[in-house]
Amino acid sequence: MRKLLLGTTILGLGFGAAEAQTLNILMESVPDTRFVEELLPEFEAATGIDVELEVVNYAEMHTKLVPQLVSPTGSYDVIVVDFYWVGEFAKAGWLQPLDERIAADGFDTSVYFDSLQDLVGQVDGEQLMLPFYNYAMGLTYRHDLLEDPAEQAAFKEKYGIELRVPETWDEYLQQVEFFTRDTDGDGKNDFFGVVNQGLRPDPIAMEWSNYLFANGGRFHDESWQPMLDSPEAVKAVEDYKRNLEEFGPLGAASFGFDEAFNVAAQGKAYSYLTYNMFRTAYDDPSQSAVVDKMEIVAVPNGGLNGAWGWAIPNSSPDPDAAWTFLKWVESPEIAKKRAMLGGSPTRKDVFADEEVLAKYPYYPALENLLATSHNFPVFTYTPQFVEVLGRELSLAVTGEKTAEEAMQTANAELEALLKQDGKL
Amino acid sequence: MLVRRAAATILPHVVLVVFSAAILLPLLWVLRVSLTDKLTAYRIPPEWTEPRLDNYIEIFTAYRFADWFSNSLIVALASTLLALPLAVAMAYAFARHDTGGAPLRLGVLASQMLPPIVLVVPLFALFLGAGLLNTYAALVIAHLTFNIPFLAWMLVAFFEGEVRQLEEAARIEGATRFQAFIRVSVPLAAPGIMAAGLLGFILSWNEFLLALILSGRATQTLPVGLSSLETHRGVEIALLAAAALLAILPVFVLLPFLRKYLIKGLSLGALK
Repeated sequence: MRKLLLGTTILGLGFGAAEAQTLNILMESVPDTRFVEELLPEFEAATGIDVELEVVNYAEMHTKLVPQLVSPTGSYDVIVVDFYWVGEFAKAGWLQPLDERIAADGFDTSVYFDSLQDLVGQVDGEQLMLPFYNYAMGLTYRHDLLEDPAEQAAFKEKYGIELRVPETWDEYLQQVEFFTRDTDGDGKNDFFGVVNQGLRPDPIAMEWSNYLFANGGRFHDESWQPMLDSPEAVKAVEDYKRNLEEFGPLGAASFGFDEAFNVAAQGKAYSYLTYNMFRTAYDDPSQSAVVDKMEIVAVPNGGLNGAWGWAIPNSSPDPDAAWTFLKWVESPEIAKKRAMLGGSPTRKDVFADEEVLAKYPYYPALENLLATSHNFPVFTYTPQFVEVLGRELSLAVTGEKTAEEAMQTANAELEALLKQDGKL
Repeated sequence: MLVRRAAATILPHVVLVVFSAAILLPLLWVLRVSLTDKLTAYRIPPEWTEPRLDNYIEIFTAYRFADWFSNSLIVALASTLLALPLAVAMAYAFARHDTGGAPLRLGVLASQMLPPIVLVVPLFALFLGAGLLNTYAALVIAHLTFNIPFLAWMLVAFFEGEVRQLEEAARIEGATRFQAFIRVSVPLAAPGIMAAGLLGFILSWNEFLLALILSGRATQTLPVGLSSLETHRGVEIALLAAAALLAILPVFVLLPFLRKYLIKGLSLGALK
């Protein structure tokens, strides 16, 4: 027994000592993380710094990060931050401003899309993060069905307009209705115009945000005055409910993105409004029955933006090595290599790169997605607001509240949270 | 008569089959998913394809399954082996001397009623100060916080009742108190100690929250590693199924050896 105790103590000391020479990074499990991992040997060869990359589940990341961030010196030199937490982390002062390092090294931040700089780059004029990868939402749809002459003729006969990649929201809603059908004649729909991710709170809140923007609505005006009781917001709730109930599969009200994606990937839905990184997954034959049949386009009027940013926490044991890593990973060469592996870039130059465009012909659509997307309200209580919005939407969808009632409550609670945060 | 006897044999079996199926079918489904890809796994109605071992290979090559597994093994074994002697001594003290009385016993139980998140932050701060974060030592000590009280509570019953009389008999024969404890009480409680040890091992093997917060890349345990297969771009269901099946392997391997102790241990003292 004594040996064992001694053994564990020695092991413990061993790891403690090894930490000083290495750079520790905490990331979430997502394809871009795997791509960074693949490229790490290049960094280690160029700088001689060893990298320990630790990967955890997204849902558990916040739990793991907070004790680290409140300590004077933690275990991680570099972390990644979801836009959800930007308000909280910035207000708590947990992240090191990067402006001096950027100026000293002449790092060009103008290559990032403005919408991403607003979301996971600058906070109140200070550069706290570098945008890492984006997960802006877009409309994925079956382009093989849109190009089918028989479908085109039937659609034109029914609606009097051409069947084409939807340019307006109403046009899209008509297509959703049109493609919902009973293919085996048993009286029940088995091919759906749309599959929704109606699970509360995050999946429904994120997806519905696209409906809000598509209808011309906004979360708040320039001076943070909430606008969720607007007719546009109410119409967005009604559209969402109708899609879910009449044109979607049974159970979609409790689907997360994984369930919803699998309905689309199994070829059972015409469209799914989702994170753009799923676009590559549709072309992977090990998880998709619709290889080469899905395409992505920006939601009419612009959809919801989303992204992660690189940051150096105040508790970073070695901020200089951390910055060396950030400069490397966000350099044009590495950002391009990551894109070539199938990542979701944030730099405009990567979207304009010829090799990248040749490999991924849908990149202009993704660029348009990013350029037209809108941000979710980023403030200290973003996660709490997602809870509120998810709850109210869920109540409206299940018919326990009318769309007006739900939006009035959401509006009032958003106002209260904004006041609590000093935004109002 | 014959019919009635047949019914008496068949009926319990029908009930047993139904209940076994309720427990085993999900496991069989996981096995099936682990041998397909994600596309086939989600097909409705289910589609049967040629079983493939790709997932079992990929969790070792693309993910660090071997590390997760050995980390879990080290932590669960160390914390159980350290906890057992301490818990045996504690249970003995409670049973024989009523050490600390009811308040201490309740105090030990109360520590088990705290949600683990309450313990996590103080432990994190302590380990940070001691430079033990991201080490096996941190995880082992953290797992002792639930293993010792749990095992001690389980073991108290094994040192009460006839064990006490046999121990007194040994004392009359001239054994010291310590000899009586080591030579008589502990062997008599052995089935209970084995059963408690197995349960302690399983508790530690499955523990998630402490392992999440206190581990680093080198010490990540299975539950933390497995959860990372649930990614921001969907659940890697086929890989997860393969990994989950391998993760329950140790308990499967241990169970036949420990079954007799487990049943004896859990039913001992039931008829007093």
